[in-house]
Amino acid sequence: MTHLTMDQLLELRDGLTEPGGAAARAHVAHCPHCQAELERLHQRVAQLKALPTLTPQRDGWAAVRSRLVKARHRRFAWGGAGGLALAASIALVLLLRSASPMPPSSSPTTQAELEAAMLESRLLEEALTQYAPERRVTDGYTARVAAELEDRISALDQELQVTQMAPAPDGDRALLELWRQRVGLMDALVNVHLTRASNVGL
Amino acid sequence: MDPFPLADAEQVVSRARRGDQAAIEALYRAFEGPVYNVARRICRSVEDAEDVSQETFLEVARSIRKYRGEGSLWGWIRAIVASKSLMRLRRNRYRETEELHENVMPRRREDGLLRMDLEAALERLPDVSRAVVWLHDVEGYTHAEIGEMMGKTTSFSKSQLARAHERLRRWLGEEVAV
Repeated sequence: MTHLTMDQLLELRDGLTEPGGAAARAHVAHCPHCQAELERLHQRVAQLKALPTLTPQRDGWAAVRSRLVKARHRRFAWGGAGGLALAASIALVLLLRSASPMPPSSSPTTQAELEAAMLESRLLEEALTQYAPERRVTDGYTARVAAELEDRISALDQELQVTQMAPAPDGDRALLELWRQRVGLMDALVNVHLTRASNVGL
Repeated sequence: MDPFPLADAEQVVSRARRGDQAAIEALYRAFEGPVYNVARRICRSVEDAEDVSQETFLEVARSIRKYRGEGSLWGWIRAIVASKSLMRLRRNRYRETEELHENVMPRRREDGLLRMDLEAALERLPDVSRAVVWLHDVEGYTHAEIGEMMGKTTSFSKSQLARAHERLRRWLGEEVAV
């Protein structure tokens, strides 16, 4: 007597309908050998599911967190480059405005303040790049505070881009306010890395 | 039903989408065990399983915005760890030395003293076969899904499962006398 193959038995076990399935079922109904094999395959699934859950030998969160922080630093490095590009494009807009015969949308004082804020932001960013925090050992608290500041700077950069594309009714005053906020956050970030978070009251 | 429900899952996911590290840690704590278990059952070594687990949670943190709440959170995370585990197998290119696997097996004696237990037999299966057995019989993936994850056909998954069960049956000394 020819018995069912393992493929056929598994098809029956899993309730799959294949060509010849009816014949296989009919065979099993009359074959104690294949009935036993089929029952064993059903039991095998139960046995596999009953195997003990394997658990990690050590807590891996510290390693995951460390890799997350590094990835965030890499993203921020790109964000920083984006911030420089953003500053350059806004500077170009201001330059074109000042060269234009049309009246400027803000006072010369505001424009000068804006340029000063952008310059300060860029200098702080360059200082941070030179310090290269991603290549230094950072304690967990410092890394957390730095990550929060980086998130806020990234969000602020997006807001700056939106404001640049669709100028607010109060002209460059809104831009100036955002750039001042950026300078403040960049300053805090530099301080966090240079003096460690515990010394800056964050 | 989600076998690993997470309290306040919606809120935790929402916070994780905003990059909240405490929320990502909450996801890690909730799913660390099941993620490691799948990784360890598929990967050959503890080190690979630990590495795959880490990569899984990094991917969870990166891609949590893509999770729209369709299907269970565990189902979404499980697909990531299964995929990462299979990638690890491919990367390591463990050779499917079937003859070796056969030869190192203790031969069954009449008294059955050298029979293996299921855990050991599973461990001895070639990597791909073991992965198919685990993903299909335990995690409930279909052959079509497994084939797709492995970059193979549905038939490939089916034949791997059949060969694996033939081996398990033989190694566990369960062949029925004809």
